[in-house]
Parts: sequence; structure tokens; C-alpha cells
Amino acid sequence: MSMTDVHSAPRANHGADWDQIRRRAKSILVHGIVLALVGLMLLPLVYMVMMSFKTSTEIAQDPLGLPDSLYWGNYMAALSSMGYLRSVLNSLGITLSVIVVVVFAGAMAAYPLARLENRISRVIVMVMALGLATPNFVTITPIYVIFRDLGLLDSYLGIVLAFAALKLPLAVFFYTSFIAAIPIELEEAARLDNCNNWQIFWHVIRPLLAPVTATLSLFVMIMVWNDFIYPLLLLTDKDKLTVMIAVYKFVGNTGIDPTKLFPAAVLGSLPLLIMFALFQRKIMAGATAGAVK
Amino acid sequence: MAELALNNAIKRYGATQVIHGVDLQVEDGDFCVFVGPSGCGKSTLLRMIAGLEDTTEGRMTIGTRDVTHADPARRGVSMVFQTYALYPHMTVRENMSFGLKIGGTPKAEITRKVDEAAQILKLTDYMDRRPKALSGGQRQRVAIGRAIVRQPDVFLFDEPLSNLDAELRVEMRVEIAKLHKQLGATMIYVTHDQVEAMTMADKIVVLRDGRIEQAGPPARLYEDPDNLFVAGFIGSPRMNFFEGVVERTESGQALVSLPCLGGVAVPVAVTAALRPGQAVKIGLRPEHFEPGGQIQVDLNIEVIENLGGVSYAYAAGAQDTHPVIVEMRGTSRPTEGGALTMGFDPAVALLFDSETGLRLR
Repeated sequence: MSMTDVHSAPRANHGADWDQIRRRAKSILVHGIVLALVGLMLLPLVYMVMMSFKTSTEIAQDPLGLPDSLYWGNYMAALSSMGYLRSVLNSLGITLSVIVVVVFAGAMAAYPLARLENRISRVIVMVMALGLATPNFVTITPIYVIFRDLGLLDSYLGIVLAFAALKLPLAVFFYTSFIAAIPIELEEAARLDNCNNWQIFWHVIRPLLAPVTATLSLFVMIMVWNDFIYPLLLLTDKDKLTVMIAVYKFVGNTGIDPTKLFPAAVLGSLPLLIMFALFQRKIMAGATAGAVK
Repeated sequence: MAELALNNAIKRYGATQVIHGVDLQVEDGDFCVFVGPSGCGKSTLLRMIAGLEDTTEGRMTIGTRDVTHADPARRGVSMVFQTYALYPHMTVRENMSFGLKIGGTPKAEITRKVDEAAQILKLTDYMDRRPKALSGGQRQRVAIGRAIVRQPDVFLFDEPLSNLDAELRVEMRVEIAKLHKQLGATMIYVTHDQVEAMTMADKIVVLRDGRIEQAGPPARLYEDPDNLFVAGFIGSPRMNFFEGVVERTESGQALVSLPCLGGVAVPVAVTAALRPGQAVKIGLRPEHFEPGGQIQVDLNIEVIENLGGVSYAYAAGAQDTHPVIVEMRGTSRPTEGGALTMGFDPAVALLFDSETGLRLR
């Protein structure tokens, strides 16, 4: 071993140590930032849950502190005054109906749009994309007028159709790009296997849309479940109100009652959180579908 | 099974014509291979036969039926795709039975046909697997199985082995050839691999720019090509071409001098009318060179490719950029950079018109 080797060996080790320290520091920094962001995002949720278990005295004395004990009385009061089960069932029924309509109509509209290479289909895709970019408030008045004229105000059918129309561009956008990535040979093989266009869609294309359908359903579910404006606009019968409108009942004109509002908000979000937890794996599979071969 | 006939088949995309009046007859039970360089129209022609591309003009018959504009499923053809095109959400059994199910075949008959095909293709152990749980070779077999169960008049294969590794390709090549013998079916096979073409085909169709350059048994295309393109395309390594000039003609023979090979004169048997001074090309395959050949030429070896049982010497001196390729067998082989004297028998030399590229016989 030469002198140079003797001296360079510890230097090399020294360099390796620094590399390791730098890598570890970088990892700690990245994890720290991620944790801080997660904390920031969870903060309102944690605050909401925390507040829902406090008595009115605790809220008045220490609004940011932890509850002394889990006080379930707030939940009992909220449940009895908000018509929880009815409103959750309304939300669930409306959300699922919208998902079914949007998924079927979106996939069937997207299939020809993804495969036809002509000017008309390109224009339709562009119009659909414009629908995505249109702010919700722009459509409030036309939808109200149209649905009033059709006699669809204050009906489940009306609210489902309104949401379906509003979310359809998103579905077409989702499905068009997904179907375009499905190899055309599958359809050609199906044509040789005696399938007509409908059979190709039903037996070959539709089953392949499962992952993207799960993701789309989640998006639509969150948007419809949490939507406040259209149920308020189109529904007036208190038996047809959605859970978000029921929660809003605890926001008064002059002030709010936190002992009812917070448990109501927790109860309103709970079904959505449960559904997300149940379908998380499928949703992630859909979100990353096509990212890698 | 049935014969297939194309009569002046033309394909146009808008104003662009890609298939130019193809006439072709594939006999019942023949294994016909379409070969040609990329973009020659071989896959388009196959897709026209499948009905996946419209035939713009001309006529196509399978057996006695005119199928020119028939629906793909009504033509009596089955196709094996390059990408296999297996339905990813279905099991092997479902993939193979799907076409029959859609066609309304009774369940018992579907089971019988699928089981029979699975047995032929050694797929019985994989029937409940999905395509993603199969190897490339197994997927290919499923694709073939899907074609078999429909009992078509004509099987169509679109470069079915190009996604497989070299070893599996050889294995599947043999299996497809065996299958052809077993089923006795009419098969049309597209490939750009001429080894596949030569080893599998009863009839090779060489295509270029949407036209048939020559069609016939592999041996005929190899030994008796109609033009420079076919002579150059069929055979690996490719045929050597030497620019030459006709010196004189006499009683069914022409004396052609080859300036690029030191001016040697080669007597070639030919009945076509030639004139002295006419530019021609002589074609010689690498294996036509032998040490004791009648016409001796001196070559400077640049590179030697040793393949074990056989070696190829690449020497300077042929036309344009192509080297002269000489096949050598046995243990005595020259070294790179050395000189080599080889000969050839003038009877094996092929004569081509330099201008038209057509064979002069």
C-alpha cells in the first residue's frame, strides 16, 4: 500500500460518514415537513372532534384545551334535533344515485369519444372540458329555472339529475383518457369473437374501468356529500334534506351552539370517512392506474 | 378449412394507397407467410383478410364465400395478435370460451372444445389463471387456444412471436409448425423474421410497398428469386451482388466481367436477350464460395464472425457499402486482415438487370 492510499483511506471514510449524515438529515427534514403538513391538515378535524366532546362550560373556559372527559351528551342532543338517520339516508341515496348515473353515462359517453378520431368527437371532448372549468355559481340560476320549469324542484330525481349533469364532465374526462390507453387489439379480438359495439363495451371495456371507477366514485362522493348549495337550492321539504343542510341548521342567524354544531359536523362527516377507509386500496389503485406499465 | 383468394385487393387511406392490387391464392391447408420490411403492408393485408381493415377495392373469397365486406366474425377467421390481446379480467378458460359464449354455443360444447384445445396446447393446469399470472409463452398459447376453439377456416397470425425471447421464440415456432400439421388448417402468418418464414412456410409471400414481389415455396424464393429485392431479402446473411458488364453473348450464354472482383469473367447461362456493354448484376450467396470453385477471386478479409460450426468472412470489394460475405466451414480459417482466395461455380450465379432489378434467366 502506498502512502497516498494510507492517507486517502480515512479521508474516504470521512467522506462516507458525511454522506450518511447528510442523507439522514435530509430524510429527517423531509419527514418533518410531511408530518407538519399532515398535522396542519388534521388540525381542523382534531379540533372538531375535540370540541364535540366538551361541555359548554369547558368550551367557554378553555376553547383550545382538551376535554376533561368524553361527554356524549352533545351527540345525544345533536342526534335528537337534527334528524340524523333521515338526513344521512337522504345523502347516501342521493350520492349513490349520482355515482351510478355518472359512472354509467360517463363511461358510455367516453367510450366513443376516446375511440372516434373525428372533429365532432374532439369538439365534444372540448365542450366537456369547458364544463369542468365552469364555476358552480354560474350554473345555479339556469339549473333552478330549468328544474322549476320541469317540475323537478324539491324532488330526489331533480337533485340527482342536477348533480349528475354537473359531475358528468369530470366522469367523461376521467374515462376518456383511461379508455384511450386500453389497447385497441382487445376490441379487435372481441370483434373477431363476435361482439357488437355494446358487447365490446360491456364485456371488455367496462370491467377494465373498475380501478378508475373507484377513484371517480370517491371524487363524486366527496363533492356530492359535501355540497351545500344545490340541496339548499333545489330541496325544501325537511324530510328530503341532506346531512350537510341538517348540520347547517345549528348555525343560527346571531350565533352558533358549538355543543350541537361540532357533534353534528362529526356525525355528518363520519359516513364519508368510513366509506373512504373501506375503499382506500381500490381508490389508490385507480389513482395510480396507468402510471406504470 | 378452406382456401383463400385475393383478387386485385386494394387499400387506400384517403388519397394514400397502401396496398396496390394484390392477387394471391392460398391453398387449403397451406401455411403461408407474409414477409417484408417494416411498412411493406404485410400487417395491413392480414388485417384486411381479418376484416379489421376495409378492402377499398377488389375481391376476397374464403372457400366459395365472398367475404370482401363481411363482418370480421362472419369470415370464418381467427387471429392471434402480436400483443396476444387476451382479456386481462378473464381467466384462461374465460378467454378461450368468450367467443363461443357470445356466439351462443351450448355450454357443454364450449367446455368440450376449450378442454380439447387446452390439452393440445398443454394449458390444462392454467385454466383458472388470469393472463397476468402467465409467462409470455403461456399467454401466446392461450391466444392460439382462443383461435383454435372457434374452428376457423383460416388462422391469422400477426407477428405472434416477436414479443418472446430468442429461446422461447424457437420453441413456439416449432409448436406452431406442429399445430399446423396436427390441425391441417390454412394459416397465414406475418413476420419480418425470415428464419421464421423459411422454417415454417409452405408458401412465402414477399411484400414491398404494398405489392407482392414474389410468392412461392421457400426453396424457390431462395434459389430462384425473381428480382434483386427478393434475392437480397431472403437469406441470412444476405446475397452478395456484384456490378458487372456483359462482354458478349453466344448460344444461351453471356460472359459477364466483374470489375469489382478484379475483372474476372463469369459465363452465365441465360436465354434473355442481352447486348454487349449492358450493365447487369451477379448474385452469389455466401455459401456459393468454395476454395476449389471454377472462378477464383482474391479477397481481403476485414472481419470474421465465428458462429462455431460455421464462420462468415466479411471482405472488402463488393458494390456500394456492402462487404462480400463468404461462408466458411471446417477448421482452416483465415485471420482478419489477411488475404483469401475463394472460388465459385458460375452455374450458381444469378443474373439481374441493373436497371430494372429483374432477374435475367
